[in-house]
Amino acid sequence: MKDITTRIIKNDKVAEKTYLMTLEGDLTETKPGQFLMVQVQRSHEPFLRRPLAILSCRDRMIEIFFTVRGEGTALLAEKRTGELVSFIGPLGNGFSDPAPGEHLLYIAGGAGLPPVLSMAEHLGRGMFIFGAKTEAEIPLHNRLQNLEGIQTLFCTEDGSLGTKALATEILSRVIKSLPTSTRIYACGPREMLRQTWNIAAHAEIPCEVSLEERMACGFGVCSGCVVETQQGNLRVCREGPVFDAQDILWGSR
Amino acid sequence: MKTAVRIREDLELKNPIITASGTAAYGEELSEFLDLSVLGGFVTKGLSIRPKRGNPTPRIAETPCGMINSIGLENVGIPVFLKEKLPYLNQFSTPVVVNFFGETEDDYVIAAEMLSIEGIAALEMNVSCPNIKRGGIEFGKDPESLHTLVKKVREVTKKPLIVKLPPLVTDIVVIARAAVSAGADVLTCCNTFPAMVIDENLRRPLLGNVTGGLSGPAIKPVVLKLVRDVSQSVHVPIIASGGASTYRDVIQFLLAGATAVEIGSESLRNPLCFLEIIKGIEEYMERFRMHSVSEITGTLEIV
Ligand SMILES: Cc1cc2nc3c(=O)[nH]c(=O)nc-3n(C[C@H](O)[C@H](O)[C@H](O)COP(=O)(O)OP(=O)(O)OC[C@H]3O[C@@H](n4cnc5c(N)ncnc54)[C@H](O)[C@@H]3O)c2cc1C
Ligand SMILES: Cc1cc2nc3c(=O)[nH]c(=O)nc-3n(C[C@H](O)[C@H](O)[C@H](O)COP(=O)(O)O)c2cc1C
Ligand code: FES
Repeated sequence: MKDITTRIIKNDKVAEKTYLMTLEGDLTETKPGQFLMVQVQRSHEPFLRRPLAILSCRDRMIEIFFTVRGEGTALLAEKRTGELVSFIGPLGNGFSDPAPGEHLLYIAGGAGLPPVLSMAEHLGRGMFIFGAKTEAEIPLHNRLQNLEGIQTLFCTEDGSLGTKALATEILSRVIKSLPTSTRIYACGPREMLRQTWNIAAHAEIPCEVSLEERMACGFGVCSGCVVETQQGNLRVCREGPVFDAQDILWGSR
Repeated sequence: MKTAVRIREDLELKNPIITASGTAAYGEELSEFLDLSVLGGFVTKGLSIRPKRGNPTPRIAETPCGMINSIGLENVGIPVFLKEKLPYLNQFSTPVVVNFFGETEDDYVIAAEMLSIEGIAALEMNVSCPNIKRGGIEFGKDPESLHTLVKKVREVTKKPLIVKLPPLVTDIVVIARAAVSAGADVLTCCNTFPAMVIDENLRRPLLGNVTGGLSGPAIKPVVLKLVRDVSQSVHVPIIASGGASTYRDVIQFLLAGATAVEIGSESLRNPLCFLEIIKGIEEYMERFRMHSVSEITGTLEIV
């Protein structure tokens, strides 16, 4: 594991409060769903690194993709081409590969897009459901629309783009038409993931979810980021962030 | 080695830099970043006789120049530690210090007995746990309870016994003296400061446990003074803990009277800080032509 300092190639605003940052660098053997702990400043303010998914890593370029939520992401949004950032990674387990012939369904809500998009681009087949509150919150529209080998369904809560529905409502509709040998990859707000698991469990379809939790270290030493599972507490940063949805104790927080 | 320090006649550290309890787990993850043998000492996550699940999440809140945690002492329990974790740590030349706690005096005594074995260099007692008999007040906040507790533990172990003090007490000197008179060989000064964060929009505390412990650079100036106060009142070595993040902080703690320094929160954001700090100390000693860390410890000059 390394602490890598690298140069920003570009940092583009791609939707309301949403940025696509490209960094110089190589990460050997990364998997979709893995993440970086990005240091926003060298000083002690803000103190902790921010966990951000690796969107892609190829041709000596690493893409991360973030929504401005608070102080740290706002500072990242201000960074310009040529500036340096440092990160630790790749961290976490990442999504698992599907079995040959398995049908694939990706479902992402809001800021949960990066890990799922990363998996879709990696595998290049299946159906993608992406839900957001409104059209303004749908970034990378073209990239999503033109995903090679993938059929993309957009939905918004206000109907400003695609179907007026929640992503999980679309999932309930399409799931009946899916073969049982389907695998679901999901990331988004916890309630959306819980619904996704519910729907998948009824249809007896395996479902992998990428979870978010507040992190201090991101590499497994502080036990700050645990989630309650059938196997006891597991660290989201180490044993996760991707879990088999049926292992998570969804009722508790 | 010039940087070596002695915390009891039978325990020498190759340098004054030690991991803090709960910020380096049981070593496996940290060793992906550095060779643990470079450390002066390794302090484990706090252990109890039975495994503990800890508090609900969120367990981490960021604060100005620091953080609050409410992990709740989640740990694998001493038996699993001895079987699965200690052999790993013993591959390195670094002395292993086991941090432990209990809910009753008996818990502490049993834990100390279980830990008094080969492969463990010293015991660090976390006394920031509620004392059930005394109506929930922390052992470490009441000099009498602390004295009784440390005395009982002292009777069952010959290992160097380190007592880790709570920082927020009326008079830390009284607490420090109670621990030393009961047989503590070393004091760690200090644990995290009780603290909380409130989300004003949700009108809720941010942590699942409501409150937690503040650590990081934000507490350093306060801990510096506590270290100085304690070192002037007792004659045992002191390990400073609280906000050290650079070699300069470490030197300052040594000047204030510490013999060694634990690095906690900083290593969560920068696991390589240990290497940078050790190098910084060597350069400082070179710059001032020092031959031993004892030329720094407690040499604060007041004109
Ligand atoms: C494994 C993982 C991968 C992630 N990947 C992405 C991604 O690719 N793109 C993206 O936009 N966001 C992602 N997130 C969420 C992102 O980490 C938070 O939005 C970000 O940390 C907020 O920081 P801030 O300084 O802007 O907010 P603040 O509210 O100022 O942050 C304060 C503290 O809370 C933490 N925090 C706040 N919100 C979250 C959250 N939702 N999850 C975890 N920690 C949080 C921060 O890290 C920081 O320690 C991911 C989270 C995890 C756990
Ligand atoms: C995530 C976390 C977990 C901790 N767990 C323990 C513990 O189990 N036992 C203990 O005695 N101290 C524990 N501490 C306190 C640290 O060991 C240290 O004393 C404190 O954080 C102050 O030092 P720092 O500012 O360098 O972090 C913990 C601190 C943090 C941040
Ligand atoms: S964030 Fe520290 S263990 Fe996961």
